[in-house]
Amino acid sequence: MRQLNKHILLFLGCLLLSAAVWAQEKTVTGTVTDPQGMPLPGVNVLVQGTQRGTQTDFDGNYSLQASSGEVLLFSFVGMKSISQTVGSANTYSVTLEEDSAVLDEVVLVGYGTQKKSSITTAVATMDTEILSQRPISKVDQAMVGQMAGVRVKQTSGVPGKSFSVQVRGTGSISAGNQPLYVIDGFPLEPSTQNGNGDFGSGNPLDNINPGDIESIQVLKDAAAASIYGSRASNGVVLIKTKSGKLGKPKLSFNTYYGINQTVKKLDVLNAEEWIDRASEIIDARWVNSGAGRTADQTSAERQAILGGFDTNFIKDDRWFQEGHPGLDYIDWQDEFFRTGEVKSYQLSARGGNEFVNYFISGEHLDQDGIAIGVNYKRYSARANVEITANDKLKFGLNIAPSYSVTQDPGVEGKDNLMHYVVSATPISEDGLDYNIGDNTAYAWGRSVPSPIRTIENTIGENKIFRTLTTLFGEYTIIDGLRVKSSINLDNTEAKNKYFKPSFVDRNRQAGGSFSSYQKQNFVNENTINYDLNFNDVHTLSLLGGASYSIFKYDNQRILAAQGFGSDDITTLNAANNISASGTYTFETKKVLISYFGRAQYGYMDKYLLTASIRRDGSSNFGSDTKWGVFPSASLGWNIDKEKFIADVDFISNMKLRASWGLAGNNTFSDDYASISRIGFSNYSYGGNFATGQVPINSANPNLSWEESETINFGTDIGILKGRIFTSFDYYVKTNKDLLLSVPVPTASGFSSAVTNIGKVENRGWELELTTRNIQGGDFTWTTNINLSHNTNEVKQLGPDNSPILGGSFDIEHNILQVGQPLYSLYVVQQDGILSADDIANGAALYGNQMEGDPKYVDANGDGVISPADRVLSGHPNPDYVYGMTNTFTYKGFDLTVLLQGQSGGKIYSTFGRAIDRTGQGYQDNHLGFIRDRWRSPEDPGNGIEGKAYSTFGRIKNTDWLYSSDYWRIRNITLGYDLGSVIDTNIFSGLRIYVTAENWFGNDKYYGGFNPEAVNSNGDDYGAFPLSKSIVTGLNFTF
Amino acid sequence: MKKYITLILLALVAYSCSEDLDQTPISEQGSNNFYRNAEDFESAVNGIYSTLQSYPIYQFYLSETRSDNLYAVSPTGVRAYDPINAFDRSLATNAIVADNWNTDFTGIFRANTVLDQLNQELVPDAATFERLMGEAKFLRAFFYFDLVRTYGKVPVFDRVYTPEETLEIPRAPVEEVYDLILADLTEAVTLLPDAYSSDQEGKVTSWAAKAILGQVYLTRSGPTYGIEGPGLDAGEYDLALSQFNDIINNGPFDFVDDYAAIFDYNNEHNAEIIFNIEYLSGGLGVGAEYPSLPVPDGYLRVNAVGFSNGETAKQVSTDLINSYESNDLRDDLDIQNGYSDQNGNFNPVPFYVKYLNLERAGQDRFDWGLNYPVVRYTDILTMKAEAILMGANGTQAEVDAIVNQIRDRAGLSAVAGADIEVLLEVKRHEFAGESRRWYDLVRTGDVVNTINSWIDTEDVQNRMMTMDANQIIFPVPSSQITVKEGLYQQNEGYN
Repeated sequence: MRQLNKHILLFLGCLLLSAAVWAQEKTVTGTVTDPQGMPLPGVNVLVQGTQRGTQTDFDGNYSLQASSGEVLLFSFVGMKSISQTVGSANTYSVTLEEDSAVLDEVVLVGYGTQKKSSITTAVATMDTEILSQRPISKVDQAMVGQMAGVRVKQTSGVPGKSFSVQVRGTGSISAGNQPLYVIDGFPLEPSTQNGNGDFGSGNPLDNINPGDIESIQVLKDAAAASIYGSRASNGVVLIKTKSGKLGKPKLSFNTYYGINQTVKKLDVLNAEEWIDRASEIIDARWVNSGAGRTADQTSAERQAILGGFDTNFIKDDRWFQEGHPGLDYIDWQDEFFRTGEVKSYQLSARGGNEFVNYFISGEHLDQDGIAIGVNYKRYSARANVEITANDKLKFGLNIAPSYSVTQDPGVEGKDNLMHYVVSATPISEDGLDYNIGDNTAYAWGRSVPSPIRTIENTIGENKIFRTLTTLFGEYTIIDGLRVKSSINLDNTEAKNKYFKPSFVDRNRQAGGSFSSYQKQNFVNENTINYDLNFNDVHTLSLLGGASYSIFKYDNQRILAAQGFGSDDITTLNAANNISASGTYTFETKKVLISYFGRAQYGYMDKYLLTASIRRDGSSNFGSDTKWGVFPSASLGWNIDKEKFIADVDFISNMKLRASWGLAGNNTFSDDYASISRIGFSNYSYGGNFATGQVPINSANPNLSWEESETINFGTDIGILKGRIFTSFDYYVKTNKDLLLSVPVPTASGFSSAVTNIGKVENRGWELELTTRNIQGGDFTWTTNINLSHNTNEVKQLGPDNSPILGGSFDIEHNILQVGQPLYSLYVVQQDGILSADDIANGAALYGNQMEGDPKYVDANGDGVISPADRVLSGHPNPDYVYGMTNTFTYKGFDLTVLLQGQSGGKIYSTFGRAIDRTGQGYQDNHLGFIRDRWRSPEDPGNGIEGKAYSTFGRIKNTDWLYSSDYWRIRNITLGYDLGSVIDTNIFSGLRIYVTAENWFGNDKYYGGFNPEAVNSNGDDYGAFPLSKSIVTGLNFTF
Repeated sequence: MKKYITLILLALVAYSCSEDLDQTPISEQGSNNFYRNAEDFESAVNGIYSTLQSYPIYQFYLSETRSDNLYAVSPTGVRAYDPINAFDRSLATNAIVADNWNTDFTGIFRANTVLDQLNQELVPDAATFERLMGEAKFLRAFFYFDLVRTYGKVPVFDRVYTPEETLEIPRAPVEEVYDLILADLTEAVTLLPDAYSSDQEGKVTSWAAKAILGQVYLTRSGPTYGIEGPGLDAGEYDLALSQFNDIINNGPFDFVDDYAAIFDYNNEHNAEIIFNIEYLSGGLGVGAEYPSLPVPDGYLRVNAVGFSNGETAKQVSTDLINSYESNDLRDDLDIQNGYSDQNGNFNPVPFYVKYLNLERAGQDRFDWGLNYPVVRYTDILTMKAEAILMGANGTQAEVDAIVNQIRDRAGLSAVAGADIEVLLEVKRHEFAGESRRWYDLVRTGDVVNTINSWIDTEDVQNRMMTMDANQIIFPVPSSQITVKEGLYQQNEGYN
């Protein structure tokens, strides 16, 4: 792969050389500054009426070819454009004035762009500068804490894993909750995060190089999004990659290197504490196992009574001997976590002339996980080329091949390695070689082989090769009337190899599998645009279009059985057998056909009206119910353009917005839910295999779109010449006719039936505030704050509104109930510890609870503790999500601090079932809380932790319930622009920076690693922690 | 340029033919293309049988574990079988209780699907048509019989009901459940063949239908205990006896002289077997889990059985072990008194090894190949003896003959004047680990006293509660109660 990397760089170099210098006029240079005299980098300089142009460098300098009499146009976002006629001089330095109408930047909307001042809907825009100025490994990572109403959850710390993105809460129950991603106009098939935290068919952001991104916009309300009608109910993320810019080739090279470590270790018992607890349990078991058995009996005495050796009843005498001979005390987490390295190299070039403009890039990322065995590598390249054939016709091709390799031996989730590391017995007779090869498990220890050796020797390799291609042509028929057609293909091939050699397997039998998938998403889109302008009073922009999308998904698996012939051969040709039931190939295909239209009308830029409609047909639905219609309308009023307010000096912008829209959702786990199908359920007779075929689904031939209706009111206000800019939105989003898996009596043959029924409401507000606290001198300080509040409520469920219980492992622990937030937590409440008096007074008990066990609240008052005593106990959705970025600059220095967090939500840790359960055996290590347990009425501990030995089992209660509040200084970056001190022609910009990521922060999740974790049936059962890192980087421009 | 415009405009309208939206599953079959001929129905009936594969597991957990044969307490009390063993009243949320309900109803749904679709036009061969119908009816009755014994009242479906319809159908009285069971089994007796060719062995015969029919009569005749359970005090011992006598006198079955040979992996379909559940090893997904279910994890691991169960032994009760006479051959065959773990420590915990043959381990612990005898000839003999002792028209000599035939095979001397206690004791040892004991105690009337006095002596760890008649049946799974409030009423005695 290193070889390939070289080739990519060489190829990029050749491309750059071939971009020739073409002009013959004289060279015009100059410096562009702001009113305070500070140089302005990135200002577009264009020779009017030509395609010649350039951008100013880090010092505000420009240089281009122009001849006398031509006019130079200088433009920059947030500044008034000015023009300058070229005369006999060769140097023209200009000063740009700030434009009070800062809103007039252009933002992406579905199928086009719009002036920000004309936007009438809720659209969040991300500052994409950070993508190159900070060490960002993934696009979704960059979005954390950046936009109000866009909650980006890092559900896993494994590098390369996709984040979960929620726009304005969750409104779907059984259908998908992830937004639609549109990259360069290509709507990518949404992928849903499954309960194990994975995106089964690959995430649309897989392998995308964040350095290629020019802009990210999130369409939040239905009016903005419903031009993507069908799949827009979870919001739409519009991503535009960089394109060529007029002028000389501009090269940039960005690189960074850093180290990372875990942000957190879980507090579990050390070996002495473990022995203390184990002894207590063993003695109690012994005493309770029959008459005449006492705690002071020695191991030999107990053995004689038993007639055997049972570690349930007999302690290891070495625990109490000086130096515990033959026993190694181990902190498994210390052995597991490490300091990893992160490296990234990105090279790009962009430029263009009147016929061609281009952006090309190549990138390599190598990111270690913060624990052994975990790594992510990515190689990606991109070429965006646009050809102007003549005044009317443009063609373009964006192509981005990429390849990534993730090493993950299976660290997250139940019975995976993180779980094993935390719960491993802290005592071994063979050090880290615990129970591997010829070593046996410690008789008092867990039977799981050394997780360290397992990780070191297990292969879990996931390779994704993806090519994202967009080919488009645009033709201007007459001025203002354009047609555009695009052909898009997202081709992804993923392969996963797993191999575990026999000597680290519990049963000394090697295991292996090979699985793969191919994903082909083909989309053809055709649009026609017509822009009209009547005397600058009326503006009208019309859009019509059609879209055709095919999504083909094939997956395969081969599973080894009965071990391998050799531990040295890791491919399945060495497998002793193949599991017939674990081996398969499977294919699905779906089609989406859409027609859409939009009209945008403006009167004097004061009154704005937008209306859109989309009609979508999806193959997922019933033959009579495939089509859905998704209309929207929105209004805007630029009050600042009214006379009565134009005189108010301190207000520079003021707009009111209102919108209504309907969007749809067809993301459902079963692509053929409307068709009743036959699956296999086999048997045998007389030793002969017999194929059995049975109905496998409760089909709903009338299944149709889930709809979400959003009403949005918003305002944008700029004060003091744009020094303070704020946006506020209030919304009510109602998802209805949900694609809901309604529980039905299993007597029907099925446990659920998917039906368009149910309603969920999300309600909230979003505030974005940008203040330029200090500006105009050497020192500047800007603050960006985003704050969102969201609450959701179930309004309607199945036919009888019966609550739906959920949550895996033992009894359910969450509930969907009308009037309550989605997935409200639903557990029994603990109230201290049972005393002898409590029991004598008839306290309600669960099973055979005794003194010293936890005391639970008998919520229904029936005298016993049972699952019927579960009560509502909070909700997982945080009430508030916030982010704040402070940016300081001083001469060449820049400092950025991003704080981000959430509050008001709860997390229920099923990981507690492994490391914090009542009646937990002594073998498994336990959360450190248990140190302060009840030991006797005289030594009652902290009043929360019951005694070590109990046999009543467990009932889901508040002991695994934690607040998911956290705050994190996600990022501190300090940069210095060497360009301002080094005077050279070799490069035009050189910035060095150092970043500290996740270094400060706090959460209240003491039962796990990550308060946003999802890895086992929707809950956290052993998450891989986030990393904190120190990274240094360079941004070079030539 | 006009060309381009035309092309693009064409593209805009091209989608108006939206046939592409009619996608059908690629890797699965639509049911509209199924149930067309005899082959399809054979396959559909195989699918009903397939539901039987977990039957031995649920029997072990819901019947053997409930009985005085097992003191199945795990060290920490957290296993799903712990509260079943302990007569806990919170069983409505228990996974095993729910899984058994769901599995039985899955089998019933599959049988109803076949019965709804099957007609003589599609399967013109009369013998095949009748057999397929007989198999579906037998299996529907079999699953309903398990439901009525386990839960009492259940909703009765004699055809496929849509999920919406099932939301309106409450639990039917036990009598109505039995009405369907009796009608189905009676029909199955006439529809089913007496035997199959060797490559079809394991399919249900008319003899199997008679055996279950007799068992149903016997169960209905048991006492009611004042609950809506399986016993109706129906007084049908003679009806039961006539089925058993028919099988004994006219059936092709026989008493196998070597007890161990009945469960020999090389001797399946032996003369004892009247109805068994078929398993095939080899990683095909049709292997058995039940043989190693009672066995501790450590024992499986030292013997290299793949994917061992991670559990401790489901301990055989001291009471059962002590109740064997000293020269009984069967306790050593059925029960192992402990095992040496991988560190060489002998762990003195007794567990069943009746169905275990470590040399015949499959790909993993879910892949044993031994068929599970549901009804064997000795069952018929003992049920006959029971029917007579409970009042059917027979003699003490017939009872004694049966008792002594069994005792003799076990290496024990003959007894005379065997009463119901003696018969129960004989059965307890004969069928140890075969999940008969609990039903025997329930049918013969003294289950509450027997279990409670056993708990008094056995439960040294003080884990168990006292049972009352309500615990003869299990609760309706809470997942079914919450589907729609008021649809099903919970059984008495459970919260």
